[in-house]
Amino acid sequence: MPVVTLQHRRLERLVGKGIDEILAMLPYIALDIEEEGNDYVKVEYNPNRPDFSTDYGIARALRGIMGIEVGLPKLNLVESSVATFNVDASVYSIRPYILALVALDGRMDDEDLRQLISMQEDLHMGIGRKRRKASIGLHDYDKVDGPFYYTTESKDFKFIPLNSAREMSMQEILASMDVGKAYGHIIKDHARYPIIKDAKGNVLSFPPIVNAELTRVTEHTRNMLVEVTATDLNTARDVLAVIAVTLSDMGFKVASVSINYDGYTITTPDMSHRRMSLPMDRLSLLGLDIDRKEVIECLRRSRLDVDEGKGKGEGEGEEVDGSIECLVPRYRVDIIHWIDLVEEVAIGYNISRFEPRYPRLKAMGSRDRTLKVLDDARSVMVGLGMLEVMNFNLVSMLMQYEMVGRRMDSNSLVVEESKSKEHEVLRDSLIPSLLAVLSRNVHEPYPQRLFEIGKVFSRVGESIREEWSIGVVIAHSNANYTEARSYLQAFLHTLFGIDVETEPVDEPPYESGKAAEILFKDKMIGSIGEVSSRVLSNFRIRVPVSAFEVIISRLIAK
Amino acid sequence: MLIALHDIEKRLILALAGKKGWMGLDELSMHTGLNMDQVRRGVEWLKYKGIINIEESVIRLITIGREGLNALKSNLPEVRLVDAATRMGGEGVSLKDVRSATDLADDEFNAAIRYAKERGWITLSNGKVYVRKSVDAQSMPEYRLLARLGEKGWLREDELSNDDKDAYRMLKSRPEYIVEKVVKEVKVMLSDHGYSILKQIIDEERMKDALTVKRIDVTAPAPIIYAGRKHILQDVIDEVREILIGMGFEEIDGSMVQSAFWNFDALFTPQDHPAREMQDTFYIANMHKSIDAKQEVVERVSSMHEQGWRYSWSSKEAERLVLRTHTTAVTIRYLAEHKPDEASIFSIGRVFRNEKLSYKHLAEFHQVEGIVVSKDTTLRDLMGIQQEFYRRLGLNKVKFWPTYFPYTEPSLQSMVYHERLGRWVELFGMGIFRPEVTEPLGIDRPVLAWGGGLERIAMLKYGIDDVRELYSNRLSMLRGVARCQL
Repeated sequence: MPVVTLQHRRLERLVGKGIDEILAMLPYIALDIEEEGNDYVKVEYNPNRPDFSTDYGIARALRGIMGIEVGLPKLNLVESSVATFNVDASVYSIRPYILALVALDGRMDDEDLRQLISMQEDLHMGIGRKRRKASIGLHDYDKVDGPFYYTTESKDFKFIPLNSAREMSMQEILASMDVGKAYGHIIKDHARYPIIKDAKGNVLSFPPIVNAELTRVTEHTRNMLVEVTATDLNTARDVLAVIAVTLSDMGFKVASVSINYDGYTITTPDMSHRRMSLPMDRLSLLGLDIDRKEVIECLRRSRLDVDEGKGKGEGEGEEVDGSIECLVPRYRVDIIHWIDLVEEVAIGYNISRFEPRYPRLKAMGSRDRTLKVLDDARSVMVGLGMLEVMNFNLVSMLMQYEMVGRRMDSNSLVVEESKSKEHEVLRDSLIPSLLAVLSRNVHEPYPQRLFEIGKVFSRVGESIREEWSIGVVIAHSNANYTEARSYLQAFLHTLFGIDVETEPVDEPPYESGKAAEILFKDKMIGSIGEVSSRVLSNFRIRVPVSAFEVIISRLIAK
Repeated sequence: MLIALHDIEKRLILALAGKKGWMGLDELSMHTGLNMDQVRRGVEWLKYKGIINIEESVIRLITIGREGLNALKSNLPEVRLVDAATRMGGEGVSLKDVRSATDLADDEFNAAIRYAKERGWITLSNGKVYVRKSVDAQSMPEYRLLARLGEKGWLREDELSNDDKDAYRMLKSRPEYIVEKVVKEVKVMLSDHGYSILKQIIDEERMKDALTVKRIDVTAPAPIIYAGRKHILQDVIDEVREILIGMGFEEIDGSMVQSAFWNFDALFTPQDHPAREMQDTFYIANMHKSIDAKQEVVERVSSMHEQGWRYSWSSKEAERLVLRTHTTAVTIRYLAEHKPDEASIFSIGRVFRNEKLSYKHLAEFHQVEGIVVSKDTTLRDLMGIQQEFYRRLGLNKVKFWPTYFPYTEPSLQSMVYHERLGRWVELFGMGIFRPEVTEPLGIDRPVLAWGGGLERIAMLKYGIDDVRELYSNRLSMLRGVARCQL
């Protein structure tokens, strides 16, 4: 989850309360305190709230829940459009959308700038889906002249990218710059790459990879151009709305930009609030006894507002408390359904004020029957003096196959792109993991008699069969087939009252001539044997080991 | 061949071996310290096993009679007669005077005269008594026999000495001096087989002696043995399960491999959500499976996604097979299939995340999850269930913070105060399923859901701070950690 660093002094200034009161309130707007320093605090915010990516956004919410400033935040907007973008049709198949705004007359200190950059990164990672869906360019507006052009260039087109002293071709940027390597895959397959230029042909940006050095934003930047390019228009709108409200809070005047597509024009940012209806009866989900007035107060504390002209007493015969017409600010991209408004009421009310109450449930506890049998199996094993171990279902190919002298085949169930060699393939037998446990414990006192209950997986046509299995290993200086057979008999006899047959078989990991498959009513339900010395040496085990495995699911299947 | 013997039998055999001949039951009782019942029982067993030979015979027993007792008290009549006569001078004492002095009945007195004369103690002449010999009553054989009989009770007639035999004959002729009876007598002796058994017993006893004679060091620790036991994490699973069943929850279980549809799409997780990427989720390579849900459900889920998240939903993506990232894949499927009006269910099982292992992350761990379906249930009920669950785990201070999960709204996380650590610890997350989740599945009432990692609880319980430790399977730990943490 993304993390924001909040400085105590800034936060006190932005909220207008003492730091202790603020710190105590942070969890109640869903911020997790990750780290506390003398003069700062790091908080984790949930990715559904990109507006929490700066201290401005967090202060905005805190002022609401603390009752300092409620209702829709006031925005510092300039009505008229100050710049124009012309979109070339060549971008349509690559990254079709661009939205922009101009922020005027602001003053940023270095911490403001740091917050802004950090917000940009969080938006890239989160709703921008690592720049694939949307990416942001921040530019010094005073360095360029409109109108601007969003178009494409060939791969050998050159400009000076950010943090570079020299011109580089776009191809070179993808090949050699870190950002190029990280995000180049988004556009690589296209013949031409997107580019943003001004009226004089100066490059502003090579989206979604890197800006030009020319428009670098610093704490001296007073006027800023922000553009968002995207493959999804709604995402671009969301991103721009979050940036717009933050810049407004920073003290910039936010001015509009006209975007000319082939044949039509849109003006951005769209900061008009959305209207959503909250049915009053849905609030019963919260279990609170609150009236309409209080509900509205809660919504306002969550920085929403209501249109009292609507919903209340509208139409004849309609209930006065039928619904509440809520006004949702454009930057609250997480609110998509009336249920989200219910939560806004709960947070505005403050979760700490909710009293837990144990419900009256018509319920009778019961156990899953299969899991109960497994527990019985566990008890029998414990009664036989066995120690239970627990391994992973997802194991390494090396251990599951190579080390026990088996080969993988097309039925082996491999997972894609595991981050760890230890987790590559689903187990089809519990014995290899048990041998690995013995291998890790060669210095522990013997005898070691271990068991594990777990699933074994196998491919059957286009589906996967999962069966519960029990594996046993016995390791000590006299371990042999007969002892394992005794335990097998005792186990099955005590658990199910059955006897089984064992027929010779020749298969790893067992020693040839000292292994059998276990049959019950002519059905194969497992294997038993002495583990071959070759396998033991692979696992560096220096005492004899006998083992068996019984697929319990085959005995209890209906 | 060794033969199992009762302690009674061993004692009898040892007593018989000591005597090297026939022994009666009384004797055995005396030598062994066993009571007669035990001796009789033991003899029966030994006889049955062929360890002893038995001889039964008839013997005559005698004891003192009523008159004999009188005589013991105040001497034999003839002695009293001599004593009286001696006291009266001893020479020519009138018979009549002696008689009145002895206070004997006529027939007794006459007999006394006769015995005294026969032994030459007195002579009679003209009705006068002359004492010829002084009498030592205590040394008389008759008296001594009477005294022994009085002391011992029964004596065997066949074991009387020659003197005793004469005295016995004398006493027997007097009425009620002696009482006789005839009894059957059992005598036992070790058989040849018995002697071979004896050797076995002696060896055993010698061994026992060797052990008991030497004092042992009772303060020294004994060799270590290890108990068979469940895995420590299984103990926690059992504890949590018991709590939930006690709270009326019904346990369910399901597949670890699920279609992306049930793991993500049915839970309103958009197809481009970061959690669905391979960096976070394990997909089974080279396998696709047609979505295991009713066509109408798939269609409703699909249109909910397109409406809510504004993108084009792909069934291909939903067909991918994933290792479930939460047990909710199982519970949601249960709800879709059963559509209960009311239900309290839970599930404890493995879940998978494509993560590198670290002290706080595993690629595979256990999740416990609970679901309540009820028409009028509320967020406060959800908090109440959590509070009760934690209380039963011994965690009494709980607080709730808002949070975010893609498929619940409102969503909360719970913080519990851990006394030993002295700080608040984040535990389960919870919420009410979003309508975008329940409506397409045909569920028309609120569904409360909560859950979290079981390893977290285990770590608190056992004081472990590296989660990998729980799966390290170090035998020293598994054998050594106390099952009840005090």
